[in-house]
Amino acid sequence: MTHTTDKDLLERSSRLTGRSVRLNFEGSTGKVTSRVRRGRPSLYTSYAKDSALLNTPTKKFWVVVFAIIVVVAPFLVASDMTYLLTTAIIFALAGIGLNLLTGYAGQVSLGHAFFMGIGAYTASVLGGVSNGKVLGFELDLAIALPAAAIVAAVIGAVVAPLATRVRGLYLAVLTIGLLILGEHIFKSAAAITGGQGVGRTSAKRTLFGVDLTQAYMLGPLKITPEISMYMISLVLLVVLGIAARNLARGRVGRAFAAVRDRDIAAEVMGVNLLRTKTLAFTLSSAYAGLAGALLSILLGRTVPERWNLFLSIDILAVVVIGGVATISGTIIGALFVVMMPRLLEELTHVLPFITTSSGGLLNVFQLQTILFGVLIILFITLEPRGLYGLWIRIRNYFKAWPFSY
Amino acid sequence: MTIPKKSRWLLAAAAASALALSACTPATDDGGATTGGDGSIAMSQGVTTEPCPGSPNPDNGCIYLGILSDLVDGPFAPVSGPLTQGQEDYWTFVNNNGGLDGFDVDVTTYKRDNKYTVDEQIAQYNQINGDIAGIAQTLGTSATQAILDDVVARDLPTVIVSWWSGFEFDPNVIGTGYSYCTESIVGLDWWASENGMPSKVQAVGYPGDYGGDTAAGVDRWAEVNGVEIAPWVETGPNAVVGNQDAVVQQVLNANPDVVMLGVAPGETAEIVGKLAAMGFEGEFLGASPTWNKVLPESAAGPALAAKFHYLMPYDGWDGDSQAVKDMHEFLNGAMPEQHGYAFGWALGYPMQAMLEEAIVAGDLTPAGIKAQMDGLEVDYKGFQPNTVYDVNNVQANAVQAVNVFKPSETGSFGIEEVANQFVGTTFDKTDYSSACVVL
Repeated sequence: MTHTTDKDLLERSSRLTGRSVRLNFEGSTGKVTSRVRRGRPSLYTSYAKDSALLNTPTKKFWVVVFAIIVVVAPFLVASDMTYLLTTAIIFALAGIGLNLLTGYAGQVSLGHAFFMGIGAYTASVLGGVSNGKVLGFELDLAIALPAAAIVAAVIGAVVAPLATRVRGLYLAVLTIGLLILGEHIFKSAAAITGGQGVGRTSAKRTLFGVDLTQAYMLGPLKITPEISMYMISLVLLVVLGIAARNLARGRVGRAFAAVRDRDIAAEVMGVNLLRTKTLAFTLSSAYAGLAGALLSILLGRTVPERWNLFLSIDILAVVVIGGVATISGTIIGALFVVMMPRLLEELTHVLPFITTSSGGLLNVFQLQTILFGVLIILFITLEPRGLYGLWIRIRNYFKAWPFSY
Repeated sequence: MTIPKKSRWLLAAAAASALALSACTPATDDGGATTGGDGSIAMSQGVTTEPCPGSPNPDNGCIYLGILSDLVDGPFAPVSGPLTQGQEDYWTFVNNNGGLDGFDVDVTTYKRDNKYTVDEQIAQYNQINGDIAGIAQTLGTSATQAILDDVVARDLPTVIVSWWSGFEFDPNVIGTGYSYCTESIVGLDWWASENGMPSKVQAVGYPGDYGGDTAAGVDRWAEVNGVEIAPWVETGPNAVVGNQDAVVQQVLNANPDVVMLGVAPGETAEIVGKLAAMGFEGEFLGASPTWNKVLPESAAGPALAAKFHYLMPYDGWDGDSQAVKDMHEFLNGAMPEQHGYAFGWALGYPMQAMLEEAIVAGDLTPAGIKAQMDGLEVDYKGFQPNTVYDVNNVQANAVQAVNVFKPSETGSFGIEEVANQFVGTTFDKTDYSSACVVL
């Protein structure tokens, strides 16, 4: 019998594995050529690549395409569309917070608007102008925005122990109570909020000393205040969205899922319920606070009645329609919820029986309300994973085509 | 410790974008005005030489103005819907009579519903702000202030529907009538002239630009005339506070001779009715938004007829001013849904004055029209006294004449005039140099 050398082993194994040459399994990633890779998107050759967010070439390609589209979009569309897109981004941020709490951790919360209001008023007091009736310290947004998130998170952490004692429907009612209490506090605290019906101006748009209420030229591009607001919100969404996604995929996310599915069983397994639920409320409130601060800055002026049950329901609709327990679904849901009224307005030009005034068969506001309600019902009953779930079905159909049955 | 490859990449990307952003320079604005077809009038956005859609004058050009109002669904829609209709009818009336020296005015194409919320106002305003020569109506003090910065930046001439005193000192907007503050002062003067000086007065209202302004006026009147004033009763719409029982209690405890009301019609009826039922002997004065033609049919009807007087800066539907005659003629004797229709009609007078001056000056750009605002003299055709708008001289030029009405079964919209263009003496003794209530 011939004495097998490393070189013999290498030669023989090359016949088995095609072009692969190195077979040193310990400590190497293994080189696989593109000829082998093509058509095998699930071929992972390292742990890092297996657990990457963008783990297939298709995902990498489309992420780059979408990144280019979202960065270029505000320069190509009308400024009121940029404003709507910024609103959608802010709703997506709030929706991600609510999704972490309700979707991943299973804690039903209708008090999201309260935390948004907290964040908005923190930012307004720290960053806004004082006019003798309301407080304002005119600080930079770089201080006001994180402070908004932190203050809202602290209040979320204070409220959380109450939430750990109740579950399901009772938790929903408790959070509604929190929202009503919050509304009353906002209306009474006139030094902070301006008081009922009057409101106050929001934080000044000064970021790192740069005054963003003016337009700037970056080479040939004109960066208007709408575009700069859009870019700030976009950067925050990307960073915080990826953070939320990684959180959901990690140890904390698994603890959330365990608590959602059956919290008693999770406790038996060793998941500390108080810590997990508190963490869920804290994170969710931080996202809500930041979203509220951005919304108040976008609007320029807010009244205390803004942070009401309807806003909570809007964000809940973002989560339900977009997809419970998904981050990309939340973003799709936010785009949908914000753009739908605008699309319906455009529809009135095409369909004659829908009018914008109070006459006619159906006016556009009634249509919006009806459509909203119908969609929420349909999504909850037919596709609980929302628009994201619809997308997954379509994607899987074509991935498995022609064996889609 | 070397930075891992991926973090190195992210760090480089962040540094590169920071460097790129530091290359930003402030943008300068370019004009964009063009001279029009007939060569002598400058025009930019919102003005065309083509006729308006549906215009009766095919040779006229078109001036597009925006409307941001509560049209369908919001809390003020029952009033502002007819008000906006009145405004549209005014311009139809003007266009039917030949337009303005070669131009028709269109307020319908850019009419948008703001649902009386700041969000919708901003969203709808952003849609139209590049296409209009001016804003013919913006409803709501909060909503107007939300867009005011951009309106000023774009030099858009703006007519507002808000009677907050602060706007009389704002060079960027024009309103009609007088302020709530003035209304309280001159209304109380009228009451004192009819019934003798009261020994105690009180104000009831929503906090903020409406009730707050009304109450500030009552304060000023009481101070000048040495009359005791009971504490201001703050309240809210029934949709927010449920009912007005707290108000009734506080007024009964204070027992003033006159109560100045700064609330909505429903709440007015409730307060007057309940207080009368409890034996309250004082009387009531209602600010311009307090009346609705259905109030006499409510349970408070008799109490209102006995104790309530309604104040308006404008001529009533049964008046004999040329403005009211024009409205009757336009509607062929029919009655509009609400008396607020006339408020909307009146919004046309200052805008028409501005546009006519601008055409004479040869500049129909927004800035050119707005430049006519300073010192503008408006002929209201008897609807209110002719007014000069000069923010440097408000006290001398402010409207301070009130029309007083009482509930009546025979009057149009349930009211009948008892005093026409009454002017008191107290207003000139107050210092009207800034907003009565700060927002």
